[in-house]
Amino acid sequence: MSKFLLALGAAALAITAPAIAQPEGKGGGNKGGGQQKAERGGGNQGGGNAGRGNGGGRETRGNPGNGGGQMARQGGGNGRGNDQARGPDRVIEKARGNNRVDIARGKGRNDDNGRIVGDDRRDFDRDSNVLAIARNFGGFGGRYDNCPPGLAKKDNGCMPPGQARKYLGSRLQQNYANSLIPYQYRSWYRDNDDYFYRYGDNNIYRVSRSNNLIDGIIPLLSGSGYGGGYYALGDQFPSSYDFYNVPYQYRSFYGDTSDYRYRYGDGAIYRINSGSGVVDGIVALLAGDLGVGTRLPVGYDTYNVPFAYRDRYADSADNWYRYNDGYIYQVDPKTRLISAVIDAIV
Amino acid sequence: MRIAMTLFAASAMTLAACDTQTSDAAAPTSEAAKDAAGDKTIASGLTAEDSKFADAAKASGLDATLAGPGPYTVLVPVNAAFDKLPAGQADTLMKPESRAQLTKVLTGHILPGEILAADIGKAIDIGKGKASLATFGGGTITATKDGDNIVLTDSAGGKASISGSDERRSNGVVHHVDAILIPG
Repeated sequence: MSKFLLALGAAALAITAPAIAQPEGKGGGNKGGGQQKAERGGGNQGGGNAGRGNGGGRETRGNPGNGGGQMARQGGGNGRGNDQARGPDRVIEKARGNNRVDIARGKGRNDDNGRIVGDDRRDFDRDSNVLAIARNFGGFGGRYDNCPPGLAKKDNGCMPPGQARKYLGSRLQQNYANSLIPYQYRSWYRDNDDYFYRYGDNNIYRVSRSNNLIDGIIPLLSGSGYGGGYYALGDQFPSSYDFYNVPYQYRSFYGDTSDYRYRYGDGAIYRINSGSGVVDGIVALLAGDLGVGTRLPVGYDTYNVPFAYRDRYADSADNWYRYNDGYIYQVDPKTRLISAVIDAIV
Repeated sequence: MRIAMTLFAASAMTLAACDTQTSDAAAPTSEAAKDAAGDKTIASGLTAEDSKFADAAKASGLDATLAGPGPYTVLVPVNAAFDKLPAGQADTLMKPESRAQLTKVLTGHILPGEILAADIGKAIDIGKGKASLATFGGGTITATKDGDNIVLTDSAGGKASISGSDERRSNGVVHHVDAILIPG
């Protein structure tokens, strides 16, 4: 307790602003000031034999590492990680109509628009000049365990302050071009006809297909540590990250309005006052812990499926089920590998 | 009046839910589960006995989370738990300049999904005496049994007992704890 007192006393104090209780902007879709086109549902996720790491960001819970599907095969992955988490190539398909999600296995498949996703990202990016870059990919380090001291700060990942803004409108760095986003986030940010997402340096980059330029940056689990990095009420939300980036599964709840914008960052969806740009509320918490193909992290031994779904998804000797961030996942009890997103419930 | 929870009581209260995991006995339907949860959210279901936690949630902006879609399991410290903090600390936490710290403390009491006391008890048994629970505070808390009670231990060794459990809400479940857990 004394440790906590000291920490509290020494804590950097947040910018203050009046707390304004406001109604939530539910069900608004991406209306009003939304800066991004609403992405189509049913986008498909490419899996792969990723060599994923156990980065050191979170003290006790597993971290997503580099999710590049082909990195391990190319010898360019970070080489760290959990070999047990490897599995066969998987493609997650979200069936229309009933939110049911099934698994297909294979080398890749077509998405709704005929684009091949999955293993063969050469085709996936065939219209992009990142293809040539990808062939020269040499791998990169993992999460913010590689951040230099002093750069592992809130709201900038490993980037020096101001760097994120500089990247906006620029081409994706070569060593990120082949780096798919970590498995845990692939249901949150789905490639579509307009954008594709890549990962590097603790950030997800949204790249416009029209010009291959970065038009959005999403910091992941900032270097000050997950949970320690929440923006506080009254904080100014960084303009560098201010674009409509609400994870896909929550977009029906949190669409921009004339009064409020909703932004994901540092483990939560924030309600931002459109006029002042400050955090007006924390409307949802997201753990980013589970992803198909990864191992069930520490902390998920306990059955946590919402009541309304327990009749369908009850733990058995053959399958476990765990809830996280809007999805119910199926887990192999023997290997603890997460084998499927079995339902989407928000 | 808060009733001390026992694992026996918790098991009885959640028998139907447990059965769904182990047998083909009649399971609650989605509608039945919704009915059992009622219309109150975690935020709106907080009572006068939870007033200090409610105030803290509002001060941190997390009241919107607790009124949102969830689902979450929330360990709500009873008012007396705040009184156990060293003199002046609760007041300090409630100051605007301490919001970041307050947010961190409160998120250490919020867990993903809906977890019943019986689920924790079962996990403790499977885990040979302890179970680890992930929180949105970034770390985990460890659950153990002390007789019939469930005891939660934070990363600094602080302990809290569940003093009332399995209060169903439309967006999750609430357990009451008798001390504040401090995230690592």
